[in-house]
Amino acid sequence: MNFNTESPATREELLQCLRRHQSADFRLAAGGTDLLIELKKSGPEDLTLINLGRLEDEEFTGITIHPAEIRIGALVTAARIHKDPYIHEHFPVLHQAARSLASAQIREVATIGGNVCQASPSGDLSCALAALNATCEIIDMDGKIRHETLSGFFRGPGKTSLLKSEVLKGISIPVNQDETLMSGFIKIGKRLAMECSIVSIGYHFQMNATGTVIQAGIAIGAVAPTVVFCTRAAAFVTGKKVNDLTEEEQLQVAGLIRQAASPIDDLRASAWYRSEVLFNSARSIFEKA
Amino acid sequence: MDKKQVPISFTINGKKMTRQVNPSLLLIHLIRDELKLKGTKPGCMEGECGACTVIVDGRAVNSCLYLAVNIDGKQVNTIEGLSTVERPLHPVQHKILEHGAVQCGFCTPGFVLSIKAIGDECVEQGIVPSRKEIAKELEGHLCRCTGYVKILDAAEDYLAHPILQNSSDHG
Ligand SMILES: Cc1cc2nc3c(=O)[nH]c(=O)nc-3n(C[C@H](O)[C@H](O)[C@H](O)COP(=O)(O)OP(=O)(O)OC[C@H]3O[C@@H](n4cnc5c(N)ncnc54)[C@H](O)[C@@H]3O)c2cc1C
Repeated sequence: MNFNTESPATREELLQCLRRHQSADFRLAAGGTDLLIELKKSGPEDLTLINLGRLEDEEFTGITIHPAEIRIGALVTAARIHKDPYIHEHFPVLHQAARSLASAQIREVATIGGNVCQASPSGDLSCALAALNATCEIIDMDGKIRHETLSGFFRGPGKTSLLKSEVLKGISIPVNQDETLMSGFIKIGKRLAMECSIVSIGYHFQMNATGTVIQAGIAIGAVAPTVVFCTRAAAFVTGKKVNDLTEEEQLQVAGLIRQAASPIDDLRASAWYRSEVLFNSARSIFEKA
Repeated sequence: MDKKQVPISFTINGKKMTRQVNPSLLLIHLIRDELKLKGTKPGCMEGECGACTVIVDGRAVNSCLYLAVNIDGKQVNTIEGLSTVERPLHPVQHKILEHGAVQCGFCTPGFVLSIKAIGDECVEQGIVPSRKEIAKELEGHLCRCTGYVKILDAAEDYLAHPILQNSSDHG
């Protein structure tokens, strides 16, 4: 590795930095846990790293709770998300996904923005955020902000809608409309620790006092070119009492989740295996403790 | 082509330092090659094995995936920082010895530093972690000799009564 680094300390410095480098080869680095591994393998000779690791800007580094949404800055780490009491209580799917990411040492540096911008189909935080209907807040080099849903943001493996002139500033999650939750993250890998998922499922159901689902989000990871939103399965569950689903209905939901996937054979698992594991893990959502 | 050096100021094992570093220098190379602290081990160099673990501002991180420029303004502790003349071994290290948790020793500095960081955080929060939680927190360390049982025994023993010893270990 042999690159230059620029380490902007303020938002204005960051935007200036972006403007200055538009015609050059540069990469943004947050925690660096994906990027440094990539650059160790190969990197262009004249690369500049715009290092976000020293940026001091609450909108990038903080978690704030607003009446309609909770906002997580792009530089918030997986460890911080895992330890956040509000997220633990209200968004168990995200809490669990943050805990399942890599290892304690990596969680301390890996950021939510890096996870989303890496656009890996097996990104754990990305999968949980998809189930939560999260929105990306993007700032461009002139300071203009745009918002985009995650489903629009993910364009393919490693591909997002971000332009060279843009940086992800934060992620917003709508607050729960009701607080009776069935929410969790299922991650299946070859071993429990430090493993890239073979299949992952994030689900977040909000229920009213009678137990009827008023809002449902389901997303799956590692079984398609991007994290996939299981909109048909979520629509099927909405309006139903999730604790009273018949076995046949449970199988229908698992079937719809399976249909949303387009798994492939790779080093980690075959397409057939992924599809079976996905179906059975989806069924397990409804297993009572 | 040589890149423009970057000035950084940091504290390592209690000692304040200012240095000019190469912008793409990794923390592990700063520690081992420039500061000659060889207790931090290069293992997989991909964040899988944990041999290169050091403590930055109280948190265990992989020094193989950390840019040296990002320790500016921060406190770094390596395994060397746990010893003093008066106290050559830290209580974590005593527990590791007591439980026979060292064989080849390559992974040991990383484990010791993670266990110390877990202990400090637990003391702060007033909790004693379960064996299962300890195993979860140590999942970023590989040991090819011991089979982990003795390491977990040592960690569990230490974490039942961790001691914050900031004054003597700078950390
Ligand atoms: C050993 C190991 C195990 C891992 N295990 C897991 C796992 O279990 N689950 C999982 O999901 N991931 C895992 N990862 C991958 C990685 O840790 C995560 O994807 C992490 O969240 C990336 O965040 P980062 O801050 O390190 O990103 P970086 O490496 O800094 O950046 C990743 C990409 O995003 C871009 N980027 C970062 N921030 C921004 C921003 N604000 N705006 C625009 N672009 C940006 C960068 O340019 C780069 O292309 C693992 C990695 C390693 C090394």
